[in-house]
Amino acid sequence: MSFTLRSVKVPPNSANLEEARSRVFEFFKTACRSLPSIMDMYNLDDVASKSQLRSVISSEIRKNSHVTNPKVIDMLLFKGTEDLNNILEHAKQRHHIIGQYVVGPQGLVQDLDPKDRGMSNFLKNFYRSNYF
Amino acid sequence: MGLGLLASRAMRPLRNSHSSVFLRTIVSKPELQSAESSAAAQAPPEPDLPPRTPVGGARIHFPNPEDAIEVFVDGYPVKIPKGMTVLQACEVAGVDIPRFCYHSRLSIAGNCRMCLVEVEKSPKPVASCAMPALPGMKIKTDTPVAKKAREGVMEFLLMNHPLDCPICDQGGECDLQDQSMAFGSDRGRFTEMKRSVVDKNLGPLVKTVMTRCIQCTRCVRFATEVAGVQDLGMLGRGSGEEIGTYVEKLMTSELSGNVIDICPVGALTSKPFAFKARNWELKGTETIDVTDAVGSNIRIDSRGPEVMRIVPRLNEDINEEWISDKTRFCYDGLKRQRLNDPMIRDADGRFKAVTWRDALAVVAEVALQAKPEEIVGIAGRLSDAESMMALKDLLNRMGSNNVWCEGTGTQPSADLRSGYIMNTTISGLEKADVFLLIGTQPRVEAAMVNARIRKTVRANNAKVAYIGPATDFNYDHQHLGTGPETLTELAEGRHPFCSAISNAKNPVIIVGAGLFEREDKDAIFATVEAIAKKHNVIRPDWNGLNVLLLNAAQAAALDLGLVPESTNSIESAKFVYLMGADDVNLDKLPNDAFVVYQGHHGDRGVYRANIILPASAFSEKEGTYVNTEGCTQQTLPAVPTVGDARDDWKIIRALSEVAGLTLPYDSVGGIRTRIRTVAPNLLNVDEREPATFGPSVKPEVTGKMDTTPFKSAVENFYMTDSITRASKIMAQCSAMLLKK
Repeated sequence: MSFTLRSVKVPPNSANLEEARSRVFEFFKTACRSLPSIMDMYNLDDVASKSQLRSVISSEIRKNSHVTNPKVIDMLLFKGTEDLNNILEHAKQRHHIIGQYVVGPQGLVQDLDPKDRGMSNFLKNFYRSNYF
Repeated sequence: MGLGLLASRAMRPLRNSHSSVFLRTIVSKPELQSAESSAAAQAPPEPDLPPRTPVGGARIHFPNPEDAIEVFVDGYPVKIPKGMTVLQACEVAGVDIPRFCYHSRLSIAGNCRMCLVEVEKSPKPVASCAMPALPGMKIKTDTPVAKKAREGVMEFLLMNHPLDCPICDQGGECDLQDQSMAFGSDRGRFTEMKRSVVDKNLGPLVKTVMTRCIQCTRCVRFATEVAGVQDLGMLGRGSGEEIGTYVEKLMTSELSGNVIDICPVGALTSKPFAFKARNWELKGTETIDVTDAVGSNIRIDSRGPEVMRIVPRLNEDINEEWISDKTRFCYDGLKRQRLNDPMIRDADGRFKAVTWRDALAVVAEVALQAKPEEIVGIAGRLSDAESMMALKDLLNRMGSNNVWCEGTGTQPSADLRSGYIMNTTISGLEKADVFLLIGTQPRVEAAMVNARIRKTVRANNAKVAYIGPATDFNYDHQHLGTGPETLTELAEGRHPFCSAISNAKNPVIIVGAGLFEREDKDAIFATVEAIAKKHNVIRPDWNGLNVLLLNAAQAAALDLGLVPESTNSIESAKFVYLMGADDVNLDKLPNDAFVVYQGHHGDRGVYRANIILPASAFSEKEGTYVNTEGCTQQTLPAVPTVGDARDDWKIIRALSEVAGLTLPYDSVGGIRTRIRTVAPNLLNVDEREPATFGPSVKPEVTGKMDTTPFKSAVENFYMTDSITRASKIMAQCSAMLLKK
C-alpha cells in the first residue's frame, strides 16, 4: 500500500464549505475523465456503460450530501481520491470494480420474485434471521 | 493425631522442646499475639461514625415498637427488635459476620464457630448466630480477639478439608475459599494426614465429596425443615462425624437440589454440572422458570450458546430462595430433540427441511382454504402471552374463535379472574391456619407452593385436609375422601372437618387445576364456593379461595381470553395450529386435517404434524408469563436460538402477512400495546394484580357433580412438558426417584 500512499498528496484543509464544495466537483470531474481508461483497463464495456458508472459515482457522492463539516468533506474526498488512485494503478481486480460499482451492495442474488415485491420489512428481516 | 491434641498444641505453642518446627505462630502481626492488652490499649470508639447500610439491603420490621432494643456494633448504635441474634444485629448495622452453619431460613445450629465476635463483659468470644442480642450490648466485630478467634476456627476447619480447590466444582463460589482468604491465617501448622470420608450416593442430582464436608449441617437442617424428608443426618461423633443417609438410600425430595446451593463448601455439588464450567466463565441472565405455574425466579448461567446451569434467584413472594429439582435440572432438555428447521411431511411420511418462505406459503395456502369454523388454534403449556395474543388475533382474522390453551379444559371460565388465580398469594399462605386441598397434590404440581404450605404447617401448626387420590405429603394431613361426595358433605356441614374450617381464623381452600378437565367442573366449583361461603373463607380482609394452576401459560391465556367457541371443535377441524401444544388429545381429529406444529421440541405434537415451524424456547426469548397467583413476570433471552428457529410471535406475524391478513404490529412494543387493550395487567411486570370481583357475582350453576373420584393431574413430577420430557436427567430421576 505504500506506493499508493505516496502517490496521494494530502492537500491543505478547505477553509470553508465553498472551497470544499468546489473540490468535490473537481474530484467528480477527475473521476469522470478517468472513466474511459478505467473501462479499458478492466474490460468493463460488456457489463456497464460510461453513463451508468458516472451515475454510480455521483450517487456515491450524493450519499454524503448531508455532510456540512468541511473537515469531514475533506476526509471523504481523501478516501475517494485514494480509491480512484487504487483503481487507476490497477491495484484492484475486475471483480472488485464490478462488485463495488456495477452490481452494488445488494449483490447478484436479489429477490426479483414478483410475489415478494410488496413484502414488509418485517417479513424480509424475518426470512433473514430471528434477530432484528 | 486427633482434634483435641492439635487443639492443645495450638493453645500452648511453646511447650514442646523437640518440636521446634511447630514453633511458628498462627499469626504474623505482633498486636494479635497479645490480644487483651492491645484491645485495652485501643482508644474507645468514636460515637460519630458515618451511618452504615445494612448487609444485603436487610430491612427490619418492628412488630411491636416498644420491643425495640439498642445495641452497639463497633460503637455504632443500632435499634433492633427484641429476640434478634447478635449476628442479625450486626447485619442491620452493616457488618457482615463470616459464617458457615448459620442460614437465615434454617434453624440455628451454632456449631461452626466461625461467627465468633467479642462482646463487652463476656469472658470469651461468643457465637453471634446463637446469642440473642440484649439491650445495651456492646458488640465488637473487628477486635484482635475476634480476628484471632476466626483465624483459629479457620485453621481447625482447614485441618481436615482437602486442598483440592483446582478440581473442586465449588471453586470460585466457595464460602470456605473466600473466608479463608479473608479471615484465615497466612500459614498452617498442619503436618498429619487428613481424614477421609466415604462418598454417599444421593441420587442422580447431587454429587457428594464427603471429605470436603465441614459438618455445618445446613443440608441436614434443610432436608428436615424445608424439604420435609428425614433422609439426611449426622452419624458418628468427634472426628468420625459424617453427614449421610442413615441407610443406603437416595434422597427422594423434589427440593433436593437446593442442598447444592446451601452447602458452603464443595461437599454437595450438582452432578449434571460436575466439571462442566467454572462460575467466572458463565454469563448470568435473570429470568423466570416455566416448568410449572409458580414462575420461580431463576438465573440461567450460560457459556456461549449453551445453558450450563440454572440457579434460584431470591423472591420472597414466590420462591424465597429455593427452586424445585425440575426447574434446576431440566436445562439439558433444552439441548436435545430441538427443532431447528422448518419441515414439511412428504407423501412417504418423512419430514423434509424447507425454507421459511416455502413453509409459510404452504401453511397460508392451506389455512385460507379451510372454512373459518374448521380452523382450530391451541397454545401450549409453555407459551408466552405475546405469542398467544398473536395467535388469537390471527385466528380471529381468519374468522375462527376456536383458540384455547391446553390444560384449561374445554369450557374454561375466564370471566372472573378470582376463579383461576391464587387469591391468597403464595406468601399469604403463611398466614393460614387451616388448608383444604381439593383435587390437588401441591407436592408434584407446584413444589414451591408445597414448600410454603409446609413452612406454615411447621410454624403455625396449621391443619391440612386433602380430598383426592392417595398421595404422599411431607407434612401431617388428614385424607378426607377421594371425590365429590366429600365435597357435598363439607358443603352441607355434615363432615367432621367442618368445625375445623369454621373455627379457623384464616382458612385456605386450594382447588387443583386438574379439575378444569372434568365435565362437571362448574358444579364442583359451585360446591367449593358454597363451602367457602358457609365457612366464611372469603372476607373483606382475607380471600382464602384459591386455584392452583398447573402450567406457566394458563393464567396469561385466561387473562387474554383464550376461550374456545365450541367444545368439540377438534372433531370437525380441517386446519389445526398447535403452538407448542403437546398434551392435547388429537385422537378425534379427522385424518385429512392439516396440522401445523410450531414449537421448540420434537415432542408428542410433532407425531401428527404435517408441517413444523421451529420456535425458540423460554431461555431464548423475551416473553411475558403470569404465575398462578397472578403475578406478571418476564423471561429474558439467555442464549441464542437454535438453528433457523424464530420467536413464536414473529412466526405468527410473518404467517399473517404471507396469508394476506397482516396483523397490525411488527415489534414487541406493538404487540404489548395490543395486549394493553385486552389485559393491561400483563404489562405491569413483577407486580401482582389481584382479582377485582369474588365468586359472589357468578351466575347460579344448575349442573350436578359426577361421582367419579378426582384423578391426579401430574403423573410424573419430573416430566410434565416438552423440555422436561427431552431431558436425560429428568428421565434418570423418574427412573430412580419416583416411588412405584
